[in-house]
Amino acid sequence: MSGTKGKAGTRRMAIFRYILRDTWRLLARNLGLSVLTFVTAVAVFYLVGASVLFVMNTRAMIAGVESNLFVQAYVKDGEESMRTVAGKMQAMECVASVETITPQQALESLKARLGSQADAVTLLGDNPLPASVQVQVKKAEFATVVARELIAMPEVDDVVYSGELADRLGKISSFVSRLSMVILVICIAAASLVLFNTIRISVYARKDEIETMLLVGATPAFVAFPFVLQGVTLGVLGALFASGILYFSYGYAINALIHSLPFLTLIKDRELVLRLGIVLVGGGVTIGWICSWLAVSKFIRAATRPQ
Amino acid sequence: MEIRISGVTKQFYPDIVALRDVYLTIPQGDFVYLVGPTGSGKTTLMRLITRELVPTKGQITVGDCNLRSLGAIDLAYYRRDIGVVFQDFRLIEGLTVYENISFVQEAIGMPKNLVRERTGEILDRLGLWRRRHLYPEQLSGGEQQRVAIARAMVNCPGILLADEPTGNLDLATAEDIMSILLSINASGTTVLVATHNQYIVDEFRQRVVGIRRGRVVRDERKGRYEADGDL
Repeated sequence: MSGTKGKAGTRRMAIFRYILRDTWRLLARNLGLSVLTFVTAVAVFYLVGASVLFVMNTRAMIAGVESNLFVQAYVKDGEESMRTVAGKMQAMECVASVETITPQQALESLKARLGSQADAVTLLGDNPLPASVQVQVKKAEFATVVARELIAMPEVDDVVYSGELADRLGKISSFVSRLSMVILVICIAAASLVLFNTIRISVYARKDEIETMLLVGATPAFVAFPFVLQGVTLGVLGALFASGILYFSYGYAINALIHSLPFLTLIKDRELVLRLGIVLVGGGVTIGWICSWLAVSKFIRAATRPQ
Repeated sequence: MEIRISGVTKQFYPDIVALRDVYLTIPQGDFVYLVGPTGSGKTTLMRLITRELVPTKGQITVGDCNLRSLGAIDLAYYRRDIGVVFQDFRLIEGLTVYENISFVQEAIGMPKNLVRERTGEILDRLGLWRRRHLYPEQLSGGEQQRVAIARAMVNCPGILLADEPTGNLDLATAEDIMSILLSINASGTTVLVATHNQYIVDEFRQRVVGIRRGRVVRDERKGRYEADGDL
């Protein structure tokens, strides 16, 4: 029993060694093509990584602006109305936070802003400031919706918000998301196509060899594995190099931007690039695996299908 | 393993019938010459046995195995017991003689030490040891044919199919190849040789199966080549 197990283990080891050696042979035999695919994979994965970082930074900038974007509703009949409006707002899905401001709090705030001229407020006599509700929205594009809701409420006297800014931010945010999605799809399609074609050329170059292997009793998986590993190796190497270049170029670019445009909210944490690198390598494995498997299995199916 | 071909017809296009209602039984250890004119269906019959082709009608069984019902994995295991010597050798150009023989063992997961041992043995037996580091294009036709036989034999198959193994070879080399095939047969391997070579059929007399226009027209023990019918 243990002898059988031992034999199976030796056999598996022999197959594993053969697959590794054959993968290396594939990479070395079509060296020019391998290098070309590697360079393309680096470029494509770099582009994917860069576009992801661009989107994340744009979103961080937008989020920075959005965090200071409020819709202010002034109510008609004092604090009772203020609490009613606040309650209705808290029930809304798109609202991040609701703050109530009593006339007294509004006066204190005004005094604080006036600083040394705060005494001028006493000239007003009784506090003329109305109670209000300050609503922070989850996204800039929700500001208009919230403002409309507030205007429609009978308790609300007036609504103040930066409507145009909110609209613009909303549009920029959705445009950047769509653009990044398009770039991502194009990059993945390009990487897939290049890898698929490289493996297909490798398969074609070894057409006779594969047919002979299948005729002498090699299983389809055994024949396919070196090609799949070739694709995975090229995908992973491309993603690794792209991640390395991305790490250093992002650090350089972000330092330059922070230096020249300090008011921008940018992501300075370079660990993000490392995490992105892991995702890219995972992408390299997946794309390499799928494309090479498709390329080689199509050929093997045709070769093993009896006529 | 007995090869049993029962009522096999192979039709390629509506109007090309390569084999027509063939019945043939080849017991384990038999040596059979398949003779017949070009296009008579000899190669088709061999390709049916390797399951590169499936019959349009009828069935082929090898041992207990019905070839029609083989899945991809079972087919691979079935083929490990069939050695094939192709008419055009089909040696791999980028590999040396040694590698051409060892890769078919590696392809079925044979351990390295066993590969080394068996490759060395077969190279020695076929007189190729000193040529082991050469590439196929550096070999003569006869040597290439020996390598092809060595590759077909190295996994010790139960059946050896050789398609025109002496084609384009001089007489002395053809005799040499035939004595190798006979010695393989003597060790219990079933050997099927498709050939046009009248000399070897008459010189090394064995069972002769004549095929004409896709039909088996004769089946003789210790038969001879019939120049009129077989050419």
